[in-house]
Amino acid sequence: MRAYRQLVTTQLKITLRDPANLFFALIFGPMLVLALGLIFGNTPRPEFHGLGYLDGALAPFAAMVVAIVGLMSVPIDIVTQRESGTLRRLRATPVRPRVYIAADVTIRFIITFVGTMLAFAVGMIAFGVRPIGNFGWVGLAACLGCAAFLALGYALASIYPTQGVAIGVGNILLILLLMMSGAMVPRAVFSPTIQRISDFSPLTQFVTLLRGLWNGEPWGSLWVPVVVLGVMLVVCAAAATKLFRWEPSGTS
Amino acid sequence: MSAVVCDDVVKQYQDVRAVDGVSFEIHEGEIFGMIGPNGAGKTTLMECVEGLRHHDSGRIDVLGHDPAKASATLKERIGIQLQASSLPPRIKVREAFDLFASFYPRPVDTGVLLDRMGLTEKAGSYVAKLSGGQRQRAFIGLALINDPDLVFLDELTTGLDPQARLAMWDVIRDIRGEGKTVFLTTHFMDEAERLCDRVAIMDHGKIVALDTVDALIRSIGSGTKVAFSPDGPAPIAALEAVAGVTRVDEYGDQVIIQGDGDRLLQDVLDALSAAGQNAHNLKTEQPMLEDVFLALTGRKLREGEN
Repeated sequence: MRAYRQLVTTQLKITLRDPANLFFALIFGPMLVLALGLIFGNTPRPEFHGLGYLDGALAPFAAMVVAIVGLMSVPIDIVTQRESGTLRRLRATPVRPRVYIAADVTIRFIITFVGTMLAFAVGMIAFGVRPIGNFGWVGLAACLGCAAFLALGYALASIYPTQGVAIGVGNILLILLLMMSGAMVPRAVFSPTIQRISDFSPLTQFVTLLRGLWNGEPWGSLWVPVVVLGVMLVVCAAAATKLFRWEPSGTS
Repeated sequence: MSAVVCDDVVKQYQDVRAVDGVSFEIHEGEIFGMIGPNGAGKTTLMECVEGLRHHDSGRIDVLGHDPAKASATLKERIGIQLQASSLPPRIKVREAFDLFASFYPRPVDTGVLLDRMGLTEKAGSYVAKLSGGQRQRAFIGLALINDPDLVFLDELTTGLDPQARLAMWDVIRDIRGEGKTVFLTTHFMDEAERLCDRVAIMDHGKIVALDTVDALIRSIGSGTKVAFSPDGPAPIAALEAVAGVTRVDEYGDQVIIQGDGDRLLQDVLDALSAAGQNAHNLKTEQPMLEDVFLALTGRKLREGEN
């Protein structure tokens, strides 16, 4: 327990000292909301069914933070630590692997969740955007999304052979999922085939869930994204548990 | 009492036997050195002993434990400095010490340890920003944080300047002074000569020799060389008659004598002055561990590296 506590405080400090982690997890989302809020404002518009721009944009921006952490920060950090021998040095101590992973998951979860909440908070405080639904449910859905995407991050880290692959594939995955999620381009402009394909993206499902709850839809009508994220969490967590490696490939 | 016992240990990677049937013991309280060229299998063997890799066959006993099985209990009693490892980026020295201390049930006081490693002033610095010598001291500090009985140091002084290496040797002698056992690898011959109580020479996955440095040097039988220029014609017969002399050669006005025994030089000079001559440009040359390696493997240790 002492090791877990010390790991959480130390890892939290050193993770936030990394400018890329700090920026993408905690600053990028709120900054995006602030910038686009200042450009487009939140005046109700007929083409948004009487809602403002930010009413529809907060959920995708918050989801974007989660996707960046899960697809980029987590796998790249872990593969880098594996390649540099940081994980190896830990294996030379009696600290149990699952204690280390639990601490790492804890701090990543806290940072990512706070990042999503900050994105919502900026919209709500600076531009007076208000959820139609229960914000508590939105927060709960954000927890589910954070957990699912973090699990994906650890699974990817277990599969990637090198840091270069982690960065390259991570970028491609991130851009593809962001494009399809409707966070950057409205999904309405997609052809029906692309729309159909984008339904399979976990990020699209996460945005659907967050936005639905924000707009006051009941959980019952949002069972598809809940199931998708739930299955993703379980499958990726199982894969990461089975495949996680402490040593670079080619040594054992 | 032995801290480490290896019996016919084998570790195979695909077609290569990195460790090929190695047997040795490390006594409690000694500095045991393993030397050999890069790729000889030193690190692989050490990591099998540490429990970080699993050997394919043979028996390893470390402080009464099988390192492949008793992982956590054993790790609480050993300290490891790895050749290829690092700390998280952006961690400060004191944070690293506090973090690693939290992994052990009875860690030493981190403040005292930082002081002992000469790192108190650097406690608030990032580990990545330390000099080579400071960083190695930090890694040794982390290997000592649990007050271990057995300390592993893999290529500890590689990359250090000569002064930092000397300072590091003092640190290692201090560790032995506390009654701990040290198992180190190096490819510096002088490091093994000056620091280690016993040395194993490893080549192509096998231990080709193991003894104290003195005994290893004696074992190759090429004793001391004495070279000098006498005043006049050398009294060859008288020199050959000196106890311990095995060979006398003349090169121009220089005489080179090979022989054994701690009185060799004195006896040669006595024989010379008995013949009424003085020795000019007197030189003696002791064989070194390097010569042992050369004699046993037919190669120089650093061959192909420079």
